Amino acid sequence: MEAEILYPVRKWFTVERISLRLWRVVKSTIKHTILISVAISCIFPLVWMFSSALKTNATVFTDMSLIPSDPQFINFAEAWTKGKFGVYFFNSVLYTLVCVFGVLFIASLAAFAFARFQFPGKNALYYLFLITLMIPVPGAIVALYVLLIHLGLIDTRLGYMLPQINGGLALGLFILRPFFERIPKDLEDAARIDGCGRWGIYWHVAIPLAKPALAVVALFTSLAVWNEFMLAQLVLQSQSLMPLQLGLVKFWGGTLTEYPLLMAGMAISVIPIVIAYIFLQKHIIAGVTAGALKG
Amino acid sequence: MKKLSLISLAVIVVLTPFLFSCKKLTRSHAVVVWHWMTDRDEALQELARKYKEETGQEVQFQLYAPSDVYSQKVKVGAQTNSLPDIYGVLGDAQDLAHFIEAGHVENLTGSLGEGPDSWRSTFYEEAINTAYFKAGNSFNVPEGTYGIPLDVTTIPMIYNKSLFAKAGLDPQKPPQTWTEFLEAGKALKKIGVTGFVSGWAETWLIYSLVTDLAHNLMGAEKVMDTHAGKVSYTDPDWVAVFTAFEQLQKAGFVDPSLVTLGNKAAEQAFSQERSGITFNGSWAVNVYAGMNDKLDYAPFPPPQLGNKFPPCVWGGAGSVFLVNAKSEVKDKAVAFLKWLSDKKQASFMVSATRNLSAVKDVGGEGVSPVLQQFADLMKNSIHPNRFLISEDPKVQEAITKGIQSILISEKTPSKVAEEVQKAKEKSKTE
Repeated sequence: MEAEILYPVRKWFTVERISLRLWRVVKSTIKHTILISVAISCIFPLVWMFSSALKTNATVFTDMSLIPSDPQFINFAEAWTKGKFGVYFFNSVLYTLVCVFGVLFIASLAAFAFARFQFPGKNALYYLFLITLMIPVPGAIVALYVLLIHLGLIDTRLGYMLPQINGGLALGLFILRPFFERIPKDLEDAARIDGCGRWGIYWHVAIPLAKPALAVVALFTSLAVWNEFMLAQLVLQSQSLMPLQLGLVKFWGGTLTEYPLLMAGMAISVIPIVIAYIFLQKHIIAGVTAGALKG
Repeated sequence: MKKLSLISLAVIVVLTPFLFSCKKLTRSHAVVVWHWMTDRDEALQELARKYKEETGQEVQFQLYAPSDVYSQKVKVGAQTNSLPDIYGVLGDAQDLAHFIEAGHVENLTGSLGEGPDSWRSTFYEEAINTAYFKAGNSFNVPEGTYGIPLDVTTIPMIYNKSLFAKAGLDPQKPPQTWTEFLEAGKALKKIGVTGFVSGWAETWLIYSLVTDLAHNLMGAEKVMDTHAGKVSYTDPDWVAVFTAFEQLQKAGFVDPSLVTLGNKAAEQAFSQERSGITFNGSWAVNVYAGMNDKLDYAPFPPPQLGNKFPPCVWGGAGSVFLVNAKSEVKDKAVAFLKWLSDKKQASFMVSATRNLSAVKDVGGEGVSPVLQQFADLMKNSIHPNRFLISEDPKVQEAITKGIQSILISEKTPSKVAEEVQKAKEKSKTE
């Protein structure tokens, strides 16, 4: 009786706490189980790729273990030399860097203009750019090929990169314009008082504020350019200009596929993109979430 | 911000030389060849090097793969008049006919010549004739030979000798009739393996077996009459061909995913001894060697449905090179192809790639006994490119889709025959 009088709240509180904690544990378990399952389903193909890269052509379909009993690390070296990855890797890095900088520079300038300037036909022009997102590459290939021939750009690095920069602009505009629109007018006025012109506002105010969005555009463009394959085969003829994806094709014949070398080559080709993602991860999450809120 | 500016500046400075060093390549006097054969690229490059050593003439082999990307490249090249000096058209006779009509393919009849000492005589007749259009052909292409074959394939049935022995079947005697084939499949099923597997998600494989069976049952003349519209697909012989696939399905020994299986998956199943019989091309010799070098197998002609005509094997066609009729170095291109099909070079190709050569009597380290068995089957080979009248692609599609429906018990052979005939009638009015 004395205890009930002295500790009624504690008794009620304890039962409630336990059920609440239990509920939280259950919720957290369900949440984490789902997240871990999704993470495993995302990571598993990569793990399988690395695992297959260490097998032989004969064991790749019979040895289902993730860690092969006799790992063939030589596959990576063979894939590198046989696929001539040295030349192609350099080309892919060059194409990716130039296209990413090209897209970032042109798309950010255009997005800034669409967001901050008033001019006739602004929205119509903006939507015209966005329409290009809906044109599939094969639909435009003949026209593009004819254009590149007339410009003398077939089988040149520039002829390969310009269409890709052009192709990345619409997405860049779509992502960057909302960011520039959100910059307060006061900030622009303050910069103007400090002596900034339009270029100064763009370079010193808008670009630093749009870093998360720029990171998203950079990653999407990198992925698109790094994995691009069809345009390269159409535009380029010299093997010395081809990107990394061509090296992979050497192991992927119409009838005969060298799966371990193909997997080793893919593992090599995926590494730079994974590194890029790790470095840009912080900005990408900020950029995507900010874009989502704005949307 | 200063850091960002410096990085941007540095990137521009580093990349500028690469960008401005990009000038358009001027067309040299080299013979340019576009090809799609990833597995033969190294050998072809080697031959190009040898040719330059011997003649001083440069030949550039440019690889574009996989084959669908290559086809896209060739089509774009044709539309923009930028095809190379030598190239190939992947597809059937109709595709080749379109390129010829558009003036992109040189008629090589004159260069090939006639008689025992001619260039033509060095090739297997079946191989050289895959690029030959007879007078009065259904595409209205002027008579002539428009391509030079590099290699050939045959597409027979293939059986696993070890599994045959295990199932109590004679490992030296593959089934010869359709009934024996069905019995063999059942025996294989009893020992726990799939009786028959093939990549029949790829409909061209189905069509090749249909053509084999039809030729065997009713003879080439009646098949051509059907193509010409004189015989209906509802004819009992055609229904019997379609019924053969129903029997295959009802016998219960085929891979359950037969109609959704790609050929690569089917090759894996056969090479890993999960199946006793398959229907595949001679390229499989390379594929099986890579996947399971201990596989004991042999090819055999598709089992006979009838006994009036000999068994037929789809074959004789392979990789064919065409000379661009608009090429500025046409003569040099022809000279190179002549050199390439010399026995010495052909023998090198066989050794390096283990493919059947289109050149007669070519030996080499690559011709293993089993590959020779595939080559021997070419004697009774048939191929649509050599037909006087080709079937309309839409009718071919109706046949293969219909057979897929039979294999999943969706339609009966009679129903499929009716649908194919309807497609045939529609094609005649289009």
